[in-house]
Amino acid sequence: MTSSPSLRSVLKRPTRPGGAEPLPLTHSLGVDYDTDWARRYPVRLARAMLLDDVTRPVMRAGCRPTIYGLEHLEPLAGPMILAGNHASHLDTALLLSSLPARIRHHVVVGAAADYFFDRHWKAALWAFALGAVPMERVKVNRRSADLAAALIEEGWSFVIFPEGGRSPDGWGQEFKGGAAYLAKRCSVPVVPVHLRGTRAILAKGSRRLRPGPTEVRFGDPLRPEAREDARRFASRIERAVAVLADEAETDWWSARLRAATGETAPYRGPDVSPWRRAWNLPSSADPTARSSEEAALRDRRSWP
Amino acid sequence: MKALVFERSLPRFAASRVASALAGTGHGVGVGPLELREVDPPVLPGSDWVRLRPRLAGICGSDIATLDGRSSRYFEHIVSFPFVPGHEIVADVLGGDLDGCRVVVEPVLGCEARGIREFCAACREGRKGSCERIAFGSLAPGLQTGYCADTGGGWSMSLVAHLSQLHEVPVDLTDEAAVMVEPAACAVHASCSAGIESGASVLVLGAGTLGLCTVAALRAFCRPGTLVAVAKHPDQRRLARDLGADQVVGPGEVMRAARRLSGSLALSRPHDTGQIERLAGGVDVVLDCVGSPESLEQSLAVTRPGGQIVLVGMPGPVRLDLAPLWQREITLRGAYAYGVERRPEGPRPTFELAFELVRVARLERLVSARYPLERFEEAVAHAASAGRRASVKVVFDLSLKGAAARPDQAHAGGREEEPTK
Amino acid sequence: MSPRPGIVLEVDRSTPATLFWHGEGFGLETLPVGSRVIYAPEPLAALKDPDAAIRHALEHPLGDSAPLSSLLRPGMRLTIAFDDVSLPLPPMRSPDVRQRVIEAVLDMAAAAGVDDVILIAALALHRRMTDDELRHALGSRIFDAFAPHGLLQQHDAEDPANLVHLGQTDEGEDVELNRRAAESDLLIYVNINLVAMDGGHKSVATGLASYKSLRHHHNVRTMRASRSFMDMHRSQLHTSNWRMGKLIADAGVKVFQIETTLNNDTFPAEVRFLQRREWEWSLRDRASFYAASRALARTPPEVARRIFHSVQAPHEMTSVQAGEVGAVHDRTLQQVHRQQLVEVKGQTDILTMGLPYICPYNVNSIMNPILVACLGLGYFFNLYRNKPLVREGGVVIMSHPTPWAFNPVHHPSYIDFFEQVLAETTDMLEVESKYEAAFATDPWYIHLYRTSYAYHGVHPFYMWYWCAHALEHVGKVIVVGGDRAAVRRLGFAPASTLADALEMASDVVGRDPTITHMHAPPLMLADVQ
Repeated sequence: MTSSPSLRSVLKRPTRPGGAEPLPLTHSLGVDYDTDWARRYPVRLARAMLLDDVTRPVMRAGCRPTIYGLEHLEPLAGPMILAGNHASHLDTALLLSSLPARIRHHVVVGAAADYFFDRHWKAALWAFALGAVPMERVKVNRRSADLAAALIEEGWSFVIFPEGGRSPDGWGQEFKGGAAYLAKRCSVPVVPVHLRGTRAILAKGSRRLRPGPTEVRFGDPLRPEAREDARRFASRIERAVAVLADEAETDWWSARLRAATGETAPYRGPDVSPWRRAWNLPSSADPTARSSEEAALRDRRSWP
Repeated sequence: MKALVFERSLPRFAASRVASALAGTGHGVGVGPLELREVDPPVLPGSDWVRLRPRLAGICGSDIATLDGRSSRYFEHIVSFPFVPGHEIVADVLGGDLDGCRVVVEPVLGCEARGIREFCAACREGRKGSCERIAFGSLAPGLQTGYCADTGGGWSMSLVAHLSQLHEVPVDLTDEAAVMVEPAACAVHASCSAGIESGASVLVLGAGTLGLCTVAALRAFCRPGTLVAVAKHPDQRRLARDLGADQVVGPGEVMRAARRLSGSLALSRPHDTGQIERLAGGVDVVLDCVGSPESLEQSLAVTRPGGQIVLVGMPGPVRLDLAPLWQREITLRGAYAYGVERRPEGPRPTFELAFELVRVARLERLVSARYPLERFEEAVAHAASAGRRASVKVVFDLSLKGAAARPDQAHAGGREEEPTK
Repeated sequence: MSPRPGIVLEVDRSTPATLFWHGEGFGLETLPVGSRVIYAPEPLAALKDPDAAIRHALEHPLGDSAPLSSLLRPGMRLTIAFDDVSLPLPPMRSPDVRQRVIEAVLDMAAAAGVDDVILIAALALHRRMTDDELRHALGSRIFDAFAPHGLLQQHDAEDPANLVHLGQTDEGEDVELNRRAAESDLLIYVNINLVAMDGGHKSVATGLASYKSLRHHHNVRTMRASRSFMDMHRSQLHTSNWRMGKLIADAGVKVFQIETTLNNDTFPAEVRFLQRREWEWSLRDRASFYAASRALARTPPEVARRIFHSVQAPHEMTSVQAGEVGAVHDRTLQQVHRQQLVEVKGQTDILTMGLPYICPYNVNSIMNPILVACLGLGYFFNLYRNKPLVREGGVVIMSHPTPWAFNPVHHPSYIDFFEQVLAETTDMLEVESKYEAAFATDPWYIHLYRTSYAYHGVHPFYMWYWCAHALEHVGKVIVVGGDRAAVRRLGFAPASTLADALEMASDVVGRDPTITHMHAPPLMLADVQ
């Protein structure tokens, strides 16, 4: 009789003999990560409690958000796609915290598969805490597109950041076509969202957290037109977010006027050398702006 | 006759080690196996042996290590108990043809002294220090006079020596000069065997007797480019410079001095402290005349890739990181005792060159203090802390009688010395 | 109340004890009756609207120069060079002068559409600045817009690819400058003129130069012939730099110089007593002095050092002028003199000075013995116009702990200089001829200068040469309260107390010498009649 097994033998994985076939790999990561478990009722409940009882109060304290445009969300009965600008890791939490309860308890967030789903524990964490589903940054592959469409058809609203990643310098980047494509395919409206002030709190690549004020603006929902392809629709969504940005910096009326004549400041910033792009940043996107008076003075001087 | 005898006693050996660790080097001798005794003089082992009466007998660093219980267990097989220590001896011959002759003893007990007819390869070439028969032959095991139960040693009133071990002292050399011949021979052998190329950068660690003699030997027999001595105490620094060092630096300045000398880049934690930890280059040759773990580590840190470290001082067991040795292809070689040196003019016995060195460099000024045998504890303690006490070589003076005799102290450099610089 | 001019006080029996700086600390010393104490003028009022003054200066330049806005056009190569961390002393409170000036310049550059802009810290052979130091000098807005894109550079005098040899002056002096600066369409230099030595053509000709250029005026002969180097009309150092400046202009390098001056409001309110005259100390001042002295006595030296180096001075801009180098500098010197000049009648036998914890070369660092000598016998001794304060053959007494301590990151070559060179000889010319070349070309020092935060290998030599005029002029130098071994290594005499020092001085100047004490900082310039 061989000796009784030790505890250590339980933890040690057995070695595979040379002639034996390996078992197929079961767990996948990245785009193939299966997030269904995170939408089961008990997990959803836990996530809702986390969002309502922890995340929202923290956001209110640290980001002091002022929310505009909730009236645009009221008439929307079914699921929607929320497309926002992206400058900071705080964006998702802030956006979710700003949504009314019926939407925020029934929403999934498209998150970059290579960043948020590359390790098991990370994938599990974000799937639970944010309701994240993995998405490719640039081109949405067939599988995740199908999954996303399925979710929308089940009634889940979808939060996407069409830029594909956070802004490196404070100015916007080109909106990719994923949100537009999904909206067309599932026939749901796209609500443009603009978040102002998150970069000043926590910029990309920075480790400094400086609490400050933020503003969340929901715009008029956009519906894809019959003959409009995903590319064009994506540009239209980008322009809508740009108008919201203009409104955030100046005021609603002058933003509307400029939108009408097509004079809204370009979302992607001026086409000049990097130092001048940095020089012309509005202070709400600048983590180094010292005081509000200083920022106001600077905005007056350098705004084109 | 009176003699200091080293007995085999494990408990006392251990006690000496503890005592020296607690109270400092040189203080193990009080509780150690060394005792002053009345013993019979050693018997002449053969017809080609003579009896000697020592005049002066030096205390060497290896003696202090042995007395502190710090010497390596390696020596167990090539030492026989009980023995009388003392291998730096100037003595008078008693009886026989050479009666009254003043001689210096070459302590190595090779094939000839051991009565072995067929010499080993080394002894045939005159390299007695490398003799392979030091535990065999008609004598008890013992690598040198001073470690052998049959020969006696310098720290007594009488010992015996083989004719081949004797070197006549020229009339014009004082006893002090003669007693420095044996340490000088070690230094000469270390310097000559290292194969130092002309113009090489050389660093000598340690400025005790061995270090200072090595500086003198390097200056006399080699042609170093720059010779740097590392000395802790001001008197040592002065002597090092007198004996021929180009630069003398303190122990804390070695890395920087070596870096400047070799013009090499240094390796240190980037930007954090700025402390130089290793050199990318280094000096050509380092002669370690200390033999401690710290000195060996320092030698490895400052030798250039492909360079050489000559270990001159007797080491004990050490823990050493040999990665630098391997990566930089450094040669670490030991230098022990003496024999025959290859000189441009032909092979010459080391002792002959040592006599020359003693004369040219006036090494008698290194004898700093004399003690009678009865005050051996003080003598050994003084020898162990010689540097701090502005001394270099401490010797037993066998003509000083009794415990009442006051030890004779001279300031390092001798009394007749006119102040230099 | 308008600021009072500087005075020369004659000590009498009613005079309270005088404040003496002693490195990271200070004490009170009683000077013998009849001694003189020189007090600097009180701080002038700062400009009320510095930004407006800067904009005005940029648009109304002095000398033969067009307004800055007309010199900027799209597509041009613009380089902005600025003074490094050695100015101002102590460091200014935010916003630094450089930040204000360069923001104003960049606003104009942005408006004019200039894309190719590079900022260069004009270090010469000083150490590179850390990111924190750059951020403090330029402000976060400039730092974050330029540094991540590699547009904020530090002059590298050992980068052969980034140096250009412009030629030799009539006296055979090489002029070799930072290539980017020399080949720009416009080179703007932003300067802080703390003392009368700074500025003028010296800004570009020294700040952006290489060793090959600098050795023509940073040498023993030139320093001995500069009496003093705070007086450009009597300074060989400046004459040489002016020659180089002219060659630079002739070679087609267009320089738009912006110079600023500061008042000498050196100490924050909590230690106001350091700024005030002792007999005018209020109860609060006396209490602060007492508290500070007691606290410092119990503080370990490294902690004290950190505390002192974190002090930021409240000094502010008193003037700003821009345009052609020569015209700008003349106006600047007027302003410096207005703030610092004190008239002193006659020289003295013994000059005493208390040396503070900071000099231009140990910002955020240790003041090693060589820098102590440089501060006392280089800077303080040379704060004169006309004649030195102390007579020829007189005695200089300096008070500083002079620790045998070196910062191994900032001053690696200083350690070797002190351990090896000064151990052999303190004679200036011998030091220069035997050792300078080896240190200047040592590859390790060059490596540290280029990649770490180390002063160039040759820099300790320059510190030593800075004392050349003083050491030629005075009979004896005594250091009070310094490390004995370090003081001796410098070739000076150590004394435990001021009284002992005065005793030792009497061997040289006799039993009844005249004594003058420089109550600095705050900075002053003695106009000796």
